[in-house]
Amino acid sequence: MTLQSEAVHRLVLGAVGVGLFLAIWQVIGTYRLAGMTWPPLTDVLAFIADPSKQGLFVRAMLASFASVALGYVVGILSGVAAAMLGQVLPIMRPGLDRLVAVIHAVPLVALAPVFMVLANRDLTPPAISALGVFYMIYVATTSGLKAASHTHRDLFTALGSSPTSRFLRLELPAALPALVSGMKLAIPVAFIGTIVGEWFGASRGLGLLMVSAMQNFQIPLLWSAVLIVTTASLALFGLMSLFERLVYGRFQ
Amino acid sequence: MTETAIHLDRVGKSFALDNGKQLTALSEIDLRIGKGEFVALLGPSGCGKSTVLRLAAALETPSAGRVTIDGKEPQALSRAHRLGVAFQDHALLPWLDIFANVALPFQVAGRKVDDARVKELIGLVGLAGFEKARPRQLSGGMRQRASIARALALQPDVLLLDEPFGALDAVTRRHMNLELQRIWSAQRITTLLVTHSVDEALFLADRVIVMSGRPGRIIRDISIPFERPRHPSVMRDKRFHELVDELTLALEPEGAAP
Repeated sequence: MTLQSEAVHRLVLGAVGVGLFLAIWQVIGTYRLAGMTWPPLTDVLAFIADPSKQGLFVRAMLASFASVALGYVVGILSGVAAAMLGQVLPIMRPGLDRLVAVIHAVPLVALAPVFMVLANRDLTPPAISALGVFYMIYVATTSGLKAASHTHRDLFTALGSSPTSRFLRLELPAALPALVSGMKLAIPVAFIGTIVGEWFGASRGLGLLMVSAMQNFQIPLLWSAVLIVTTASLALFGLMSLFERLVYGRFQ
Repeated sequence: MTETAIHLDRVGKSFALDNGKQLTALSEIDLRIGKGEFVALLGPSGCGKSTVLRLAAALETPSAGRVTIDGKEPQALSRAHRLGVAFQDHALLPWLDIFANVALPFQVAGRKVDDARVKELIGLVGLAGFEKARPRQLSGGMRQRASIARALALQPDVLLLDEPFGALDAVTRRHMNLELQRIWSAQRITTLLVTHSVDEALFLADRVIVMSGRPGRIIRDISIPFERPRHPSVMRDKRFHELVDELTLALEPEGAAP
């Protein structure tokens, strides 16, 4: 009962916070408190809903979301694969750790132009997404694979477990909560990678829309693109939080 | 004397500490446990009694001497999936239900799960009806029962119990002792129980070994005379109380006795 009322309490507070934020946006826009470049929320929403703009937004969204999805999936698969490799072949582990740390230390923004000249320009957004997601997932999975308790490891040793059986029946399930947390945190990273990649001259996408709107002073268009990206990222993050709670309930 | 199952032959164990020093946990431990014998290892915490059990389970290797089970290295026993263990921490896998947890040894051994055997064991430890429950939904005592059922799943040659009831309250613990006594009397598996409870050791074991700490060594080896199966009334027996007093005294730190 108290737990439930606590959840309701938090939900109400959250709704009040979001409402306040949107109201302040609206007030600043309506009274031009921040100048001409801050439109009221209602103007932005009306712009997005305008039927003549639908085609433009849908094309850009499809391009960007496809990049986000591709980068996210590739990043997760390669991150999990690299972490498993380090677990199965411990001799690879220190090298992998260092390699991943070096990749992470290189600023993704600096890599974007290099990708642009190296690869297909439309592959740059998903590639940068994938790199960011890869790092996050590698770290989450390696720490997750260490999460099994000492007693559980002792139990498997005493039961005469093979390394494969130990990995599949103990280490992997014990790693799932950490992996899912990593997947949640990787959602905004995937979006950032795609948008940054698109800024550097992709042929389609919301990032491209933002840059061209900014350069042509199309203020409502710029805000619309930002609002769409933010909403999508937050919605997926929220979904993953729910999934995370489910996994924690089952695996911990 | 019957055939020896577990044999610790002048075993010593020392650990390297972080500061470079050596900690001698066990020295010159000589212990023979016969086939089908239930031996309780009693001692104050930190006396190395758990280390003895871990040596028998092949979770540690001795620094001196030799540990054998049926004449072979302990690893041979665990690799053949002939070893049953239960720890103070029940070590049930939280993502599996009770049935799957008790069936785990079959799967780890790469054998087909014997559903009837798993069901029978769950019934034996009094958890019938809880097959689909998750460990977190059960009480501490119920989880320990499940972990004992798991230890028995493959009909092991040797059962190693490391304070399996140490985290339970006194009432549940006594109840679990009765249950374990009943289960054990039906199967008579060679068993080594590590405990710091005198009552538990006396009620369950054929022989009680008392250890003292730093470095751990054996100071007492007492045969327990009570007939099996044992009834809880044994604990009100005069002889039982005498043994309790004797063992409690043996557990007192040297020099502390008046």
